[in-house]
Amino acid sequence: MEPLSFLAFGFMQRATLAGLFLGVLLASLGVFVTLRNMAFFGEGIAHGSLAGIALAVFAGLSPLPVAMGWAVILALLIFFLERRTRLSADSVLGILFTSSMALGVVIMNMTHGYQPELISFLFGSILSVSYFDLFIIIGCSLVILTWLFFSHRQLTLLSLSEEQATVAGVPVALQTVLFYIALALATVLGVKILGIILISALLIIPAATSRIFAENFRSHMIWSVVFSELIIFFGLAFSFYLNTPSGATIVLLGAIIFFLVAGKKLLQRP
Amino acid sequence: MIRVENLEVRFGTHPVLTGVQFEVTLGKIAAIIGPNGSGKTTLIRAMLGLTPIAHGKVLFDGKPLERMRDQIGYLPQKFRFDPDFPISVGEFLGLTLRRKKPTSLTAKLTEVGLSASILYKRLGSLSGGQLQRVLIAHATLHHPALLILDEPSTGIDIVGEKQFYELIERQVKEHHTTVLLVSHDIAVIAKVVDQVICVNKKLVCSGPPRETLTQETLSELYGHNDMELYRHQHPHL
Repeated sequence: MEPLSFLAFGFMQRATLAGLFLGVLLASLGVFVTLRNMAFFGEGIAHGSLAGIALAVFAGLSPLPVAMGWAVILALLIFFLERRTRLSADSVLGILFTSSMALGVVIMNMTHGYQPELISFLFGSILSVSYFDLFIIIGCSLVILTWLFFSHRQLTLLSLSEEQATVAGVPVALQTVLFYIALALATVLGVKILGIILISALLIIPAATSRIFAENFRSHMIWSVVFSELIIFFGLAFSFYLNTPSGATIVLLGAIIFFLVAGKKLLQRP
Repeated sequence: MIRVENLEVRFGTHPVLTGVQFEVTLGKIAAIIGPNGSGKTTLIRAMLGLTPIAHGKVLFDGKPLERMRDQIGYLPQKFRFDPDFPISVGEFLGLTLRRKKPTSLTAKLTEVGLSASILYKRLGSLSGGQLQRVLIAHATLHHPALLILDEPSTGIDIVGEKQFYELIERQVKEHHTTVLLVSHDIAVIAKVVDQVICVNKKLVCSGPPRETLTQETLSELYGHNDMELYRHQHPHL
């Protein structure tokens, strides 16, 4: 069997292309997620998006755009509730994602018959990436990455010290809400491949792995993206040849790399 | 002219500063002094928009100071950040977002007594004194129109303190920067600054050091009759 024979199939080409774009996007955002201790955010948004997906299936609409719209609403709610109440971001997220999931379960219950779309969103499915999905994934990734390219200095300063960012004239509220929206959209886009349950791994594992040894921000960002692309590409390849679920294979491969890097660090003298 | 008009800051219902009013001429150095807990840091944080103002205005050349943020350099009393944050000193200094062209990083580091090799070190790996010097370099890098420094010489040695005040004086002379600093070192203040602003929940005094740093004013400000502190001399300055 040829090493790259999996790319001969149209669905694998779409999944790989979508995966590689999402890899750059999620790894770049993941750097800021780990620096700002927001690991729970991706988890919450992914689970909360279930209501959007269930709503789209119930109404006979395309799930991805509806889920994206729902995720943006959740991101805005998190932002405003966090600022206007005295609750921590974790508490706000905990309330919103469980209530949104509960809504999703109720709507799913009202939808009769077997719903393959819902199952594919829960666990991810490389077979489910259509040309329409690919178009949305690439389009949104390019828009978010362009914003990130122009805002990365402001976001870095904001992640390092909100106070310094404020004094330096960074529009703190605007950049924070844009970051939340970008994160929510990227998470939902990734749900297509990794599923609701596993997507946050792609936000956290590459960034956490590179952070173990990165001495500066540039290498942290570059290695995070490299790890992400490697685990997505080889994860998809392994899942094809081993006939294992794509999302779970990608996450397991990422976890193995993380533990190898962490293990090497543990063996080094402090 | 920097103009603070009838400034009032409250934490909840508790007033921390009331009726603070003073002016600082552009291109001059002013020091804010007062006992611990008197509201010095709160005053500069309120001026910078980091602490909400209950009442009053802060104007820089007639415009709200908040609109001049790209022209302000700020050194906080304590720079809170995650020491594991993977960012080098060079990257940190590159994060300033000002319009003016910066001084070369190497030249600026030399000014604050650091070598260029520190540019590649992780920010979180620096000693307290090195970090303070890097923060001073960061605050002055783009020759801000207003430099606000909260206890700037904390953690730096005598040589560093001397270099710091030389840097401030050069900044004022060459770039017409207005400097507002919080300090407890009254002997140094008396020699370096053009104006002293005494604060203890309210404005106690404001004026040139010779007029304000009197036994009487300091006793009123600090609540002690014998201000030995003022007589302490710094041979390095």
